[in-house]
Amino acid sequence: MAHTSAAQSEPSGSAPVIEVRMVTVAFGGLLALRGVDLDIMPGERLAVIGPNGAGKSTLFNVIAGDIAPTAGKVAVKGQDCTYRPSRHRPRLGVARTYQKARTFDGLTVRDNIYLALAGHARRHRALWRSSVDARMRSTAANVAETVWLAGQLDHPAGQLAHGQKRQLELGMAIATGPDVMLLDEPASGLSRGERERLIEVLESLAPEVTLLLIEHDMDVAFRIAQRVVVMADGETVTAGSPAQVQKDTNVHRIYLGTEATA
Amino acid sequence: MTVRGQLTRRNLVLAAVVVVLLALPSLATAFFVNFVMTQTLILGLAAATIVFLAKYAGMTSLAQFLLFGVAGFMFGNAALEAGARGLNLGWDAWAAVGFAIVVTTVVAFVLGAIASRTTGIYFLMLTLVYAVIGYFVFAQIVEISGPGGITSIQRPELLGPPVRLYYAGLLLSVLAYLGFRSLGRTAFGLALQGVRDDPIRMASLGFNVALHRTLAFTLAGFVVGLGGLLNVWWNGQIDPASISIGPTLILLIIAVIGGISSFEGAWLGAFVYVLVFTYLRDLPLIDRIGITEARFNTVIGVIVLAIMVLSPEGLTGIIHRLRGRLERPAAAAADTSTGGPLPLRKTEKEFGGTRP
Repeated sequence: MAHTSAAQSEPSGSAPVIEVRMVTVAFGGLLALRGVDLDIMPGERLAVIGPNGAGKSTLFNVIAGDIAPTAGKVAVKGQDCTYRPSRHRPRLGVARTYQKARTFDGLTVRDNIYLALAGHARRHRALWRSSVDARMRSTAANVAETVWLAGQLDHPAGQLAHGQKRQLELGMAIATGPDVMLLDEPASGLSRGERERLIEVLESLAPEVTLLLIEHDMDVAFRIAQRVVVMADGETVTAGSPAQVQKDTNVHRIYLGTEATA
Repeated sequence: MTVRGQLTRRNLVLAAVVVVLLALPSLATAFFVNFVMTQTLILGLAAATIVFLAKYAGMTSLAQFLLFGVAGFMFGNAALEAGARGLNLGWDAWAAVGFAIVVTTVVAFVLGAIASRTTGIYFLMLTLVYAVIGYFVFAQIVEISGPGGITSIQRPELLGPPVRLYYAGLLLSVLAYLGFRSLGRTAFGLALQGVRDDPIRMASLGFNVALHRTLAFTLAGFVVGLGGLLNVWWNGQIDPASISIGPTLILLIIAVIGGISSFEGAWLGAFVYVLVFTYLRDLPLIDRIGITEARFNTVIGVIVLAIMVLSPEGLTGIIHRLRGRLERPAAAAADTSTGGPLPLRKTEKEFGGTRP
């Protein structure tokens, strides 16, 4: 498709932190992604938007390592990660959240964040507590404060409200100090106040942190992102600054469904 | 945790139980100590490994009794001298202990690695398959199981008198109990619980989920191997029938009677099982209502059924509830003076294995 190249970012000096090359994903006879190309530069804030079924989540899962693509290549920081399982991503400084909060409901908020730290530090095989261990536990408290969960530190995650679970998800991603954060619809199901908090946390991240978010909520996507990629039918349709994308007639057509009649 | 933090009522009660058990040989009959209690400790130790896997890693294993038997057979093969059944390696007793434990742990590692990608009902089925295969391996390869089992197995001299075997059972039980409990707070224990709650999330955090499951299974195999050694010393013999499906299920039943998410429950369940097994026939008039020794499994079945319906948390759950009921009237009386709206004190609610 002619528009595919539009997703490529403008040439710049540094190498992309995430490279997606001609990625195709087929579920049986359904092509969820059709040769998608995408470069994400270090420190970039990129939002991928598009209607339901556009392939946003599939693209996200390919980048996160949960789905291996049928064809194509994914590289993180220059390393080919196409067929590497998701557990190798944290070592490359990649953290992710899930659309539906996946917290460890039998464990406390502190232990949830602690596990995020332990997995990243690769100290999870250590059987005994150590000074590193103690430091991770205190870092967990600091992270909980960042995501407004300081008061719930010793509550089981299973008892948190939906919005709080999303905050915990975000905390678990932030905890390890990742270079790249993949956020899968971080604003879905949040109240207006919670959404403001989310934006506040995301805006407070260090400028060198790369953000990729998939978002249904245009408000959040346009406020956080510097660049917006629009997907439809498994392809990237257009890309540009939030202002450009908002004016793009193609995008209006995709979202309002006038393409068929045009 | 501080020393003060450890002084909960639960821990004090458990410490008191251990003190009573230490003094038991001078309080109770030799039969009660050497038959009932030693067996309770051995079965409790084995059932605790089922609880460990179920509670922390969400894996319900039916292969524990097989590993229990592997340790027994390996000890029998290694320790007995020529003329006996089995391989007759004739090693020193402690070398045979080491051999049995190493083989059991390696077998657990291999079986655990194969099963590490399955969860839930599939894991249960796979471990059932292990139990069946294991039974046939020992039943058909008579070189390692002696035709009709390995008999006249002597225990190491250190454990000669029966009461020493009781103390060995007590020591290993206490160590396993404390070990399993404190493991829950270590990095490895927390990671296992994470694997139980959401393996996909754990992988995305950088954990090797399959390796964690394998290591948990290996650790459980090591501990159940120790129980298997005690068992073969206590019995003096082991035969393939003793690790068939029947005994395998009994171990799971013991864990369910006690409460599959509580370590205390493993020994509690074993105690109830051994009590019923030992004393049921002695109850007056019991044979008049048709309960003879042959109907023993029916009685155990009814007990399990009653527990499943009344308290899925097993006997430990019943104890928790009774304690709650005893404490509540006192707490309510203390609350009347405050007169605040909706007095909510010490409210507890259990959701499955989670007790906030």
